[in-house]
Amino acid sequence: MKYIIINVLAFLFVSTVSFAQEGRDQYEIQVDGLGCPFCAYGLEKKFKEFDGIKDVAIEIETGDFSFTLPSEANLSMEAVEAQVVKAGYTPITTKITRADGAVESSETTTMIADNATLSDAKILVAGKCEMCKARIEKAAKGVPGVATAVWKVEANMLNVSYDAENVTAETIEKAVAGVGHDTKNVKALAATYENLPACCKYERLEQ
Amino acid sequence: MKKIILAAVTMLLLFSCKEQPKSWQLSQMLEIEGVNPIGITHRSDGIWLSDGDHHRIVRIDANGDITETIDSLDRPMHIATNGDELLIPQYGNDEVLRWKENVVKVIGISDSLDAPAGIWREGEETVIADFYNHRILYSKDGVDWNSFGTEGKENGQFNYPTDVQLLGDEIWVADAYNNRIQVFDKSGNFLRKIGEAEKMNASTGIYVSKEQLFVTDFENNRVLVYDHEGVLQQELSENIEKPTDMILVDGKLYIANYKNNRVNIYDWKEDLNPKKSNKE
Repeated sequence: MKYIIINVLAFLFVSTVSFAQEGRDQYEIQVDGLGCPFCAYGLEKKFKEFDGIKDVAIEIETGDFSFTLPSEANLSMEAVEAQVVKAGYTPITTKITRADGAVESSETTTMIADNATLSDAKILVAGKCEMCKARIEKAAKGVPGVATAVWKVEANMLNVSYDAENVTAETIEKAVAGVGHDTKNVKALAATYENLPACCKYERLEQ
Repeated sequence: MKKIILAAVTMLLLFSCKEQPKSWQLSQMLEIEGVNPIGITHRSDGIWLSDGDHHRIVRIDANGDITETIDSLDRPMHIATNGDELLIPQYGNDEVLRWKENVVKVIGISDSLDAPAGIWREGEETVIADFYNHRILYSKDGVDWNSFGTEGKENGQFNYPTDVQLLGDEIWVADAYNNRIQVFDKSGNFLRKIGEAEKMNASTGIYVSKEQLFVTDFENNRVLVYDHEGVLQQELSENIEKPTDMILVDGKLYIANYKNNRVNIYDWKEDLNPKKSNKE
């Protein structure tokens, strides 16, 4: 097959990571739904249930949440993500760097053949904050054949680069609408829109 | 002819003397280095800010310099004062502190809190915003507590209340993620709601003066000023970034900005450009 598109769930690949602390595992989670200090501190509060948690850092605008735990806790990715859900938020990506340097990641990687011809498109996508950006870009990048996806909040515009022989702009729009964001041609389901975090409730687009 | 000229001059004088409408106008910005303020209050010794990111509250002087710090707190949020007492809701450990001259008392509530976000106390009368429980706690004597509110969007329900204030016979609540303010009597009966038309995005902080209501619209980087019935009077947005709380001190309005490490100060004075800054 000329174009090889592989979606890899990259669990349990090993690499050397400089910031792994001795005896402690590093957890990095991008969380959907953090909009203000109240949300961020709330997430932290729910994670205090884990004994030995340290180095807690939360970036409110991007939803980046990180902490360390003693390696003997050996908290699984599923357990971490379940705790985020318990706190009332949605994990987008999760990465664990174990004390021995092993890395576990939930991130989906799309590979496109070197000789693929990429097309560019600009798609109007409604949203209003950095959390919207993370959600929109993740949905677009999750479509097999999409090489890059960058959404700009000011313009409400998604710039995508994709393999036109394997994916269409319409498919990308449907994927983005599927996570709650209206696009120029595809409207998100009302129920999906209603489930967005309050801070992400944008003005609906008319198709 | 003389009479006509006299009348014209009189009209001109009357017109020029006509009082212009007043509005809040930015007069000063205090840079508060290293502080991400969430709550702001005033005591006889000055302005206090809660700095949840750094687990402390700080007192600042007129230049914005920190002159006193109370640290080792657990995510202090919308602080308040009652006489010489500082009231500190700690979001991280569910305790509400009364702090006076290094004497610390914990407000005892048998029905446990889950992330207290705001408090107001006058004498013994106290009201608390209980964030994760989607409710308001009210006590007339500081001992026996009543609560009202459940999670939801209907009148009298809350979607994460973050701030609260007593004024006269009313309890005012920042119903943050319903993007509105709700007003109740002291029995918890819903009276009215304010702000839905403005499509706020997280109404996280309130301050109610005798005549006006001030609301922070956190994500939209603005503060909305209403009368007590909910008529929008002014929208403040210049140099405001992620506003969290307000207070009036000696006729000046102080607005705390979480993001830009600033406290903005406004004067109430004649508006030289009413179309630009007023919504009326």
